Amino acid sequence: MAEIVRKRAVAVEGASVRERLQAMDDSAVVTAFLGGEERAFSELVTRYQTRLLNFVYRTIGDREKAEDLVQEVFIRVYRHLHRFDRSKKFSTWVYTIASNLAKNELRNRSRNPLVLFQTVQKNFQDEDRPLQFEDTTSRPDDMYRKRHLREIVEETVAKLPEHHRNVFILRELEGKSYEEIAEITECNLGTVKSRLNRARNSFAEIIAPYVD
Amino acid sequence: MDCREFSDKHVAFVDDTLAGIELVRMQRHIAECECCAKQDAKIRRALLLFRNLPSIEPSADFSERLHARLRREAQCENLLATTQRNLRRGAIAATLASAAMLGYIATTLYHSQTPRDLVMPPVVATLPEADFIPITTSSPAIVTSVSAGLSIWPAALFAEQVPVRFAHSKLELANYTR
Repeated sequence: MAEIVRKRAVAVEGASVRERLQAMDDSAVVTAFLGGEERAFSELVTRYQTRLLNFVYRTIGDREKAEDLVQEVFIRVYRHLHRFDRSKKFSTWVYTIASNLAKNELRNRSRNPLVLFQTVQKNFQDEDRPLQFEDTTSRPDDMYRKRHLREIVEETVAKLPEHHRNVFILRELEGKSYEEIAEITECNLGTVKSRLNRARNSFAEIIAPYVD
Repeated sequence: MDCREFSDKHVAFVDDTLAGIELVRMQRHIAECECCAKQDAKIRRALLLFRNLPSIEPSADFSERLHARLRREAQCENLLATTQRNLRRGAIAATLASAAMLGYIATTLYHSQTPRDLVMPPVVATLPEADFIPITTSSPAIVTSVSAGLSIWPAALFAEQVPVRFAHSKLELANYTR
């Protein structure tokens, strides 16, 4: 009986800690983790894993590799969090790490044609796969159109030059401010605006024939 | 406003970050310029498509894999901390051992540099060579050898090699007088 009461008390305490962490902003969660609260790191992972996965996936276009890279981002955050300058935004720091890892991945791919070939192979295999209907309430032709459109959009993003694509995704998908993008991509504000303008124009130009 | 200025400010226009007066000028330009209006619509429609892309979720084992890696990372950190602690202890022990070794070497060197009695090899004494007495042509010994039937130069050489006492001038003189 006493054991059950003790376990329940621990569970209630754990739940209250989680709730408290959920209510905190990033900076406070980081402080809690550095103060020895291990659960704070799980809170950071919960907050950023999907956002980072989408960002990295849209940048490199390979889902499995994107997951690996996001894991690497969290490992690096765990390893170097004590060196993080807490006067700055945590999200900017995390996105900077993710952006650099994605950039390295693209650079390695361009150096290693075998990786490129494997990616192409995988895409072909995806093409051969039968359609997977995510939404059973829609008509099959609608679903096909949706999937087709999604693929076109993804391919169009992939066609953008790397530095344009990075800025484009950070702005359009992650909703980052110009200043944050400048910090993440380590270039000045004017460059960010100019790259964003070009990326938007190119994207609209490439995709226009498919949506008209 | 011309089309170039419109294009330059279009990013801010789409993101709604333009100041009030600029915004009005941009809107007025769209109303006047069909080409820019088309471009604006094209970009907005494309962006809408991109922003509505379905979000992807991490796979089911993502969290599990991450936590396994984090546990390994924590273990590595502990191992590193232990190793560093041990290394620190090892460094102290090594320093002490080095100091002891240096002391020993210094003591040994000090003792090896103190002067000792020189031991020389035994000296073998030899008789001093007798003074050489040059033989001249006028020497009585030469004259004696000639009379004995020897040629002059071998005789002279022989005379040089014989013990000096046989060619001593006093003895020669005695022979001569006889």
